[in-house]
Amino acid sequence: MITVLAYSRGFWPLFLHVLGAMTLFGVVLAAFVLAIAGLPRATFTSLLVALPAWAVTLACAFWIESDEGLDNSNATWIGIGHAVLEPGLIVLLGALGTAWWWRRSGKTVAARISMGLSGVYLLLLCLAWLAMSGKWGS
Amino acid sequence: MSTADWLLMFHITAAFLFVGGSVAAGVLNVLAVRAERPSEAATMLRLIKALLPVIFVGVGGTLLFGIWLWHELHFSLGAAWIWISLALWVVANALGGVGGRHQERSRELAERLAGEGDAPSDELRALLRDPTGAAISYAAGAATLAILVLMIWKPGS
Repeated sequence: MITVLAYSRGFWPLFLHVLGAMTLFGVVLAAFVLAIAGLPRATFTSLLVALPAWAVTLACAFWIESDEGLDNSNATWIGIGHAVLEPGLIVLLGALGTAWWWRRSGKTVAARISMGLSGVYLLLLCLAWLAMSGKWGS
Repeated sequence: MSTADWLLMFHITAAFLFVGGSVAAGVLNVLAVRAERPSEAATMLRLIKALLPVIFVGVGGTLLFGIWLWHELHFSLGAAWIWISLALWVVANALGGVGGRHQERSRELAERLAGEGDAPSDELRALLRDPTGAAISYAAGAATLAILVLMIWKPGS
C-alpha cells in the first residue's frame, strides 16, 4: 500500500497534466471546426470548456516541477511549455472573447478572428507537446 | 535527439491526435444530442465525420511508433502493460467503430428529417440518446483512458 501511494505521487501529476493537455487540444479543435462551420454559440461553449482543461494542465505542470526539483530549470522544453500555457492564455482568451462578440453581434469579422486565434492556439499546443515530448534543448 | 527520442515524440503526437480528436468528437456528439432541430444535429454529426482523419492518423501512429519504440527501447516481449495496452487499443477501436456506425445512422436520419421540414423529432431524439449507443461510446473512452494510464504508469518496467 505504501509503495502504491509512493508511486502514485509521481503518476498523478503527469497523468493529469497530459490528460488536461489532450482535453485542451480536443476542445479547441472542436471550437475550430465549429467556427469554420459558422456556429457562434457552439464555438463559444467549446472554448469555455477549454478553460478548466487549461487550469488542470498548468496546475499539474507546477506540481511536476515542484516534485522533480525543476522549479528553476532553464531547459528549452520547459520554457516553451510555460510560454504556451501562460502568455498563450491571451490567445485562448482572445478566441473566447471574439466568439462571445460573434455570438452577440453575428459579425463576420468576429468569426474570422475567433477562428484564426483558435487555429493559432492549436499550433501553439502542437509546438508545446513536440518540445516537451522531444525534451528539446535538454 | 536519439532515434528513441524522435519515436517518442511521434508516438506522443499520435496520442494527442487520437485522444484530442476523440475529445473533439465527444464535444460535437454532446452538441448533437442537445440540438433542437434535425439540421443542427446533422451539422454536428457531419463535423464528427470531418474529424475522422485526425483520429485515424492518431490511431495508426500510436500503434506504429509504439511498436517501434518497444523494439528500440528493448522492453521485454513479455511486458504485460504493453500487451494489455494493445488489447485495449483493439477494444477502443472496435467500440469506436460500432459507435461510429450508430452516429452514421443518426446523421442519415437527421439529414432526412432536415430535408422534410426540419421539425423536432422524437425518433431522432431517441436515436441520439440511445443508452446502448452512449454506453458503447463511454466504454471506448474508458478503454482509451486506461491506455493512457498504462502508458504513463508502465507497471513492472
